[in-house]
Amino acid sequence: MILVTGGCFQGKTAYACKTFGIGREEAADGAVCPPEEIYKTKLLFHFHEYIRRLMETEESFSLEALTRKNPEIILVTNELGYGVVPTDRFDRAYREKTGRVCCQVAREAKQVHRVVCGIGTVIKGG
Amino acid sequence: MLLLITGGSGSGKSEYAEKMVLRLQKMPRLYIATMYPFDEECRLRIRRHRKMRAEKGFKTLECYTGLKNADVTGYGTVLLECMSNLTANELYQEGGAKERCAEEILAGVHRLLGQCEHLLIVTNEIFSDGVDYDPETRIYQKYLSEINRQIASMADAVVEVVYSVPLVHKGNPEEMV
Repeated sequence: MILVTGGCFQGKTAYACKTFGIGREEAADGAVCPPEEIYKTKLLFHFHEYIRRLMETEESFSLEALTRKNPEIILVTNELGYGVVPTDRFDRAYREKTGRVCCQVAREAKQVHRVVCGIGTVIKGG
Repeated sequence: MLLLITGGSGSGKSEYAEKMVLRLQKMPRLYIATMYPFDEECRLRIRRHRKMRAEKGFKTLECYTGLKNADVTGYGTVLLECMSNLTANELYQEGGAKERCAEEILAGVHRLLGQCEHLLIVTNEIFSDGVDYDPETRIYQKYLSEINRQIASMADAVVEVVYSVPLVHKGNPEEMV
């Protein structure tokens, strides 16, 4: 498992596709794909949106299931939580949840990359 | 020694800070708690952090405002969490330091440093989501960033935690251990 994170519009998915040799058409969009796609795809981008959708349908993310069914997956996520605490309750819960899930994923991942201005830095497992 | 730990919310800052405290092995340990229990959500958060500290041998000192009145003499390791709450308390609470919050808090940090062996301070990156906040919130961001910069300049080491991964911006936290 590999985690790629960074701010929005930093070229994270393009960086991940290029770095790991994956065609964009092979990548799943976490904002719209069927939930079970995460267990099949090589790369899932908008992972934070995937988490949001799980929260909206009151499902929980299982790292154990993902590790078992798709251990080589590359997850691309926005790095949330660098702003003032949102006033909306769901927004607060969502950014908190994304943080906790991504911490879990990062601990499990063999590599973590952080992308700024399209440039990736390996911050774990380099 | 002074270690400043920063990062986004939910990035694993507290967990990293507590791990460092355990590795430092300087007893006794004090936790300075700053979150005022406004509502159920705060109380839940406080409970989550209390659980993380359970059995780690921390004493807890609640300090919502007036950090420079805190007495930590005799403690080996002090963990202050977190600067973003303390700053908001000083700015918004009745009896808080208001526009003097940065100098009052920094005076408190200096005092703590003189009283204990290791001081770890957790703060928060609230500066880069591109949202234009109201003037009051912008002032809060300005004060907190000033406090963060001042503490970072004094600190032996500064670490940013990204989804549980520590990135070292200054010094070497391993040298503290």
